[in-house]
Amino acid sequence: MQTVHIEFMVNGKEVALDVPAGATALQVIREMLGLKGSKEGCGIGECGACTVVVDGKAVNACLLLAAQLDGCRLLTVEGLADPAGLHPLQEKMIEHHAVQCGFCTPGVLMSSYALFAEKANPKREEIVAAVAGNLCRCTGYQQIITAIEAAVPGENR
Amino acid sequence: MTEERYAVIGQSVLRKGAREKVLGAAVFAADIDLGRPLVLLARRSDHSHALIRQIDVAAALAIDGVKGVFTARDIPGVNLLGIINKDQPLLADDKVRSRADAVALVVAESQAVAEQAAEAISIDYQPLPALFEPLEALAEGAPPIHKKGNLLLTRVVRRGDVDSAFAAAASLIEKEYETGFIEHNYLEPDAGIGHVDADGTLVIYASTQNPHYDHKEVVGLLDLPDEKVRIIQAATGGGFGSKLDLNVQGFIGLALHHLGHLGRPVRYIYSREEAYLATSKRHPFRIRMTTACDRSGRLTAMRVRAVCNTGAYGSYGIAVASRAAVHATGPYAIDNVDVEVQCVYTNATYCGAMRGFGAPQMALAHESQIDLHAEELHIDPLAMRTMNALQVGATSSTGQILTASIGYRQCLEAVAPYYRQACDHWLPAPTLPHRRRGVGLGGMWYGIGNTGVQNPSTARIEMAPDGSVTLFTGCADIGQGSTTVLSQIAAEILGLSPEAIRMVVADTKYTTSAGATSASRQTYISGNAVANATRNLANVLLTEAVNRLRAPKNSLLFSGGEIVVASKPEVRVAMATLARRIHDKGGTLSWQGFFDPETVPLDPQTGEGVPYATYAFACHLAEVEVDTLTGEVHVARVVAAHDVGRAINPASVVGQICGGVAMGVGFALMEEFEQGRTESMKDYHIPTAADMPEVVPIIIEAAEPSGPFGAKGVGEPALIPTAPAIVNAISAALNRRIYALPASLERVLAASIDAGHYRRKER
Repeated sequence: MQTVHIEFMVNGKEVALDVPAGATALQVIREMLGLKGSKEGCGIGECGACTVVVDGKAVNACLLLAAQLDGCRLLTVEGLADPAGLHPLQEKMIEHHAVQCGFCTPGVLMSSYALFAEKANPKREEIVAAVAGNLCRCTGYQQIITAIEAAVPGENR
Repeated sequence: MTEERYAVIGQSVLRKGAREKVLGAAVFAADIDLGRPLVLLARRSDHSHALIRQIDVAAALAIDGVKGVFTARDIPGVNLLGIINKDQPLLADDKVRSRADAVALVVAESQAVAEQAAEAISIDYQPLPALFEPLEALAEGAPPIHKKGNLLLTRVVRRGDVDSAFAAAASLIEKEYETGFIEHNYLEPDAGIGHVDADGTLVIYASTQNPHYDHKEVVGLLDLPDEKVRIIQAATGGGFGSKLDLNVQGFIGLALHHLGHLGRPVRYIYSREEAYLATSKRHPFRIRMTTACDRSGRLTAMRVRAVCNTGAYGSYGIAVASRAAVHATGPYAIDNVDVEVQCVYTNATYCGAMRGFGAPQMALAHESQIDLHAEELHIDPLAMRTMNALQVGATSSTGQILTASIGYRQCLEAVAPYYRQACDHWLPAPTLPHRRRGVGLGGMWYGIGNTGVQNPSTARIEMAPDGSVTLFTGCADIGQGSTTVLSQIAAEILGLSPEAIRMVVADTKYTTSAGATSASRQTYISGNAVANATRNLANVLLTEAVNRLRAPKNSLLFSGGEIVVASKPEVRVAMATLARRIHDKGGTLSWQGFFDPETVPLDPQTGEGVPYATYAFACHLAEVEVDTLTGEVHVARVVAAHDVGRAINPASVVGQICGGVAMGVGFALMEEFEQGRTESMKDYHIPTAADMPEVVPIIIEAAEPSGPFGAKGVGEPALIPTAPAIVNAISAALNRRIYALPASLERVLAASIDAGHYRRKER
């Protein structure tokens, strides 16, 4: 099997890997890095459960080749919290009852994280647009949007 | 009912497990690592209906990396599955009845090898005519899909004299309604993993709604003693009914049974495509409904002839047909009823449980009929519903006298101000010239638990001598929050915080059956079982406290880990002290609880009986704007009032309501699973955040005397009124009614053209 050597940052740590040339970023994240927080819901970029942040942008890891991670900064849901505690997005998701089955949760968090990286003070419509690619079958989204809104950096005192 | 003060009941306690989920640390079945797993893949049928003459697996077995290929002949026990009627083989034996049928199971080193091997299996079929329409399947001379024929069941509910009432009617309306296949589309595709543990037990972790049923089926398939199979529910990414059937569990069991000696775990993770192909769907319905009312708008009679398509297997089809028949009247008092619902086999993918079990399909019909009568008689649709609403003392179509907790009128009253505001202000407000606005109502009732059959739950609670508490429940939490709610019930009784209750959930080794997580039954039924177990434990503690505090039992309260004398709070004793004393005396601190709702089976000829011990009620209001040139429907707002008896965790109830409305929006406007065409998530659209209206949830609490702290249920009710409310709103906007779901762009545009709204700009 042809492999590709890649070096990249995962949740702040440098990683060097030889990955199968055809492997998706999601396969490498889950199987080789053992980071199971990123989920496979459809495998074709429709559901957003595998959303990760690559160089500040939210992407579907199932559509990205692992080889494309070379030289990138990858953030997965496992990298959101720091030793000081949960990320405000995580805290607000719990507080506002935005988590039901939890399968879409990591993807929703990563899309929101990328939005916040891009915009300090997004409006509700912008939040809706940012997570419109993250399907959820449990919540009807209302508590999710409210949670994200509550975590907007400008709103945190 | 007097307003009691509770410490934990009625509090929006934070979700157990939510922290793990936001950290990405919750372990779903596909995340479980037991070492290098073997991979499973089923070879699915190439035909919708065919006899199997021969299966040749030699070429597949010869492929490097293939560890085994199994067919029906390799199943040591009973190769038939089904929770109500057993008609579905795990692996096809003599024939295939749909494309979803598994013919052989491959066990391989990798997914790629498994796929290659599955292809290499050679199957010699003798094709039979395939039937996809129930009416075709019922036609004389139609090829039988099952030996007993193609009619699975006719459920009848009859009461009074419909013909006489029709003859005297001021308004008589007969219409036909149609709904299609719906995919559950839980976010987590089905998955499981298993291994053989040190004492030879097959341990299977699965994404499931009913681990104890899975256990029974795997034991039966493999002809093993009960203790040799253990099912553990992994974190489950939604179910909505589809994970009530055995999906991967039987395959994993079979592979472990034959290949356990290899010492390797085996896992089966459905791709989304396989989950679409191989798991159950919502039953499509064709409903002919005739209703009559008098001049004042009072409903007097209903006749229904409905046919639902259960596809190749029964699954929950009998329950769907039965519930549809009982729920045909909607939440309205109708004295004369004649309902027949046929459940029919076809060669489509099998249909099973999906949020609402036939009630959502029936609600489209009864709520459309109400609006049609209201229009004909010039009665306001809200007034029409209020006039006919079931109330305490009413008799249902099955002859059940409804004695308590009938909150439909309260739901209507709660929606009324929004309805008036929408009619008076939102409706006439200017919008774009090619857009038309409409307001619609939808109502529903929903029986909690299974229809006229025993469906008990059990639970066990245990206090350690140090006073710590563990609650054991077989109740699968699939995201709806039952684990949290059950902990609240136990915590309230013992005066503890829910965090103090350790939960052991849905593991057949340690928990006893709570029945299925379905039929909106867990809060009411398992909640009662938990309350029963906990009160048993509480009673033992109180008995010991009487000795210690020298005060009568009825003067004692549980509070903050102690038992106190209500009138003298300084007189108190820690539960840990009591637990230690009970333990040291040889008393028991482990207590079982049981609850089964009081029901009476439906009479097969008349439908008479008590199908449910209690009912939930709801009314939704939908405000829609229809683009008359494109057929696009924008749902602006849904107001959703739900009588849940008692909201044990209001934020969770709101979560159920908002999620139900989303599924209802999908059912109303966009979702349709087309057999043979819908293959992946590119072909099937569920609502996104951008498709969702503002939802205004309203909780009504008409307490149920037999419920835990008055609670009933909400999971399925949340979905049911949405689609009828949207359809009624579209119909009002266009002055043309939609009779078939989904109200897709094509259907809405056709209605718009038919009503004359689609025309060139006037000069």
